[in-house]
Amino acid sequence: MTTAEAVLSPRARQRRRMRRRLLRRPLAVAGLVVALMFVLMALFAPLIAPYSPGKSDFSAALSGPSSQHLFGTDDLGRDIFSRVVWSARASMQAGVFATLLAMAVAVPIGLVAGYYRGWIDPVISRITDVVLAFPFLIIAVGLAAILGPSLKNATIALGIAAMPILVRVTRGETLALREEDYVKAAVANGASDFVILGRHILPNMTGTLLVQATVWIPRSIIGEALLSFLGLGVQPPTPSWGVMLSAAQPFIDQAPRLVIFPGLAIFLATLSFNLLGDGLRDILDPKTRA
Amino acid sequence: MRSFLLRRTGAALIVIFLASVVVFLGLQALPGSPALTLAGEDRSPQAIAEIVKKFGLDDPLPVQYFNWLGHALQGDFGVSHRTGLSVGETIMDRIPITLELAVLSIIVALVLGIPAGVISAYKRGSLPDHASGLLALVGLSIPHFWLGLLLILLFAVRLRVLPASGYVPFTEDPIENLRRMAMPAFVLGTGVSAVVMRQMRSSMLDSLTADYVRTARAKGLSERSVIVGHAMRNSMLTVVTVVGLEFGALISGAVITEQIFVIPGFGRLTIEAVNQRDYALIQGVVFVAAVGYVVVNLLVDVTYSYLNPRIRVSGGSV
Repeated sequence: MTTAEAVLSPRARQRRRMRRRLLRRPLAVAGLVVALMFVLMALFAPLIAPYSPGKSDFSAALSGPSSQHLFGTDDLGRDIFSRVVWSARASMQAGVFATLLAMAVAVPIGLVAGYYRGWIDPVISRITDVVLAFPFLIIAVGLAAILGPSLKNATIALGIAAMPILVRVTRGETLALREEDYVKAAVANGASDFVILGRHILPNMTGTLLVQATVWIPRSIIGEALLSFLGLGVQPPTPSWGVMLSAAQPFIDQAPRLVIFPGLAIFLATLSFNLLGDGLRDILDPKTRA
Repeated sequence: MRSFLLRRTGAALIVIFLASVVVFLGLQALPGSPALTLAGEDRSPQAIAEIVKKFGLDDPLPVQYFNWLGHALQGDFGVSHRTGLSVGETIMDRIPITLELAVLSIIVALVLGIPAGVISAYKRGSLPDHASGLLALVGLSIPHFWLGLLLILLFAVRLRVLPASGYVPFTEDPIENLRRMAMPAFVLGTGVSAVVMRQMRSSMLDSLTADYVRTARAKGLSERSVIVGHAMRNSMLTVVTVVGLEFGALISGAVITEQIFVIPGFGRLTIEAVNQRDYALIQGVVFVAAVGYVVVNLLVDVTYSYLNPRIRVSGGSV
């Protein structure tokens, strides 16, 4: 062991080992690269897209791919490539923020349920059961109906839909971790509950939560596209892959590419997060590694 | 077994009760007043006051709730103010269509998922294993509604072998019914088949190394009967559970699939209700979806414990 490694904390050493393991999985690395590409596409849409997403050129409506319009134009003569690029914004926003919202609410609840047990655990479990009793899209559709259709509300709906399962995962993980020796040691040392949960339990489930993030980001990406497709998410003229697909339906026989490109973008975005998630799960879960 | 049944049923009833409260309160949160909507054209204060009185809209919330629940339990969800038809009957008309779609999708999922899972586990690390693993990943990542549009593009627009959309009742013309259900069932089934395949593969991997499989081999049974009669039989247990748990995903999937293929089922009814702000209908649809989901989960639990006695004895305390 070199001295540089010796001074690393156990956690940092573990992180390093994980990173090395991840790099050995080509599919997971490909997923990571493509996922990052979509994030960059969302951040730098104005620099990447050759046209503004709303700019129409009626003389060039429904034209095929050309040097001016890489993916061709839609029925209003808008550049499809630019619209696909700009749509990454709505998609990444929904994917990342819905997941963050779900985690911000679900993780503390799961920690409390798993750590304190007692009466609070069954109460929380029953509440998650109730939320789980509503199929995901029914929650999202219902909430969009209550809150009104917009990207923000779709994101909130998707976040709420993700909460019950995240509560369960966090609770289960907390139940297991509270039996660990280092937690018992901390209790014996008189550490407060807050310190135990925040310092000892939460950091040790970052791996699990990371995997959960790679599950919920792609689900929320598809969810946003779906809600926008149904008219319950992003409202035109703001571009979104779901909005584009919905608008493309009447032109499916004349201009199939209107259907193909936005869908391909959703597919690649979700696939990339799923590949990354599968890779992370493999390296974090020793059972599937064997 | 009996106490297990009672406990599970009790828990399911509590969930349904709480779900009914959520549905009822959720509707209170909807923008717009039901009295105004019900009044339609005539928005004079007298007309509105009459409606408020007739429907008990000025009663305290708990009273309104129990009134609603009492009717709902008898299948009476009121009358749709859009169509003037009974909400309960409208829902009952639509459910068989969605059930047919769900059953066909599950058949697609099992036919694709089980063989793929068994072969991947049996030939672990081989080309077919990697190929079906990748296909499962694609099946999980592909947005259903996009897959639906692609199928329409291929089979209806290009090849012209299947109708793009629409519905014909099975009783009227079974062949035409199945032709129209083929694409939607495939779209809904692929997502579930990916889950089935993964589950089948991982539980087959467990069974294949289990002692009873080694014993079966040792006593000279043919490879075929070891796989089919022993290993697969046990793995089917978890597949039953997984398919049951996917029921919620099927309902969600039906909403969008029926929208794309213009099938007048329960899913399409949900979207119609929301788009038309048909309050009674929204309430009915959401409540029925939740009850259906809870009941299916209960049935899955019971079936599973029936098939696997270990659960009955030790577990169930969750």
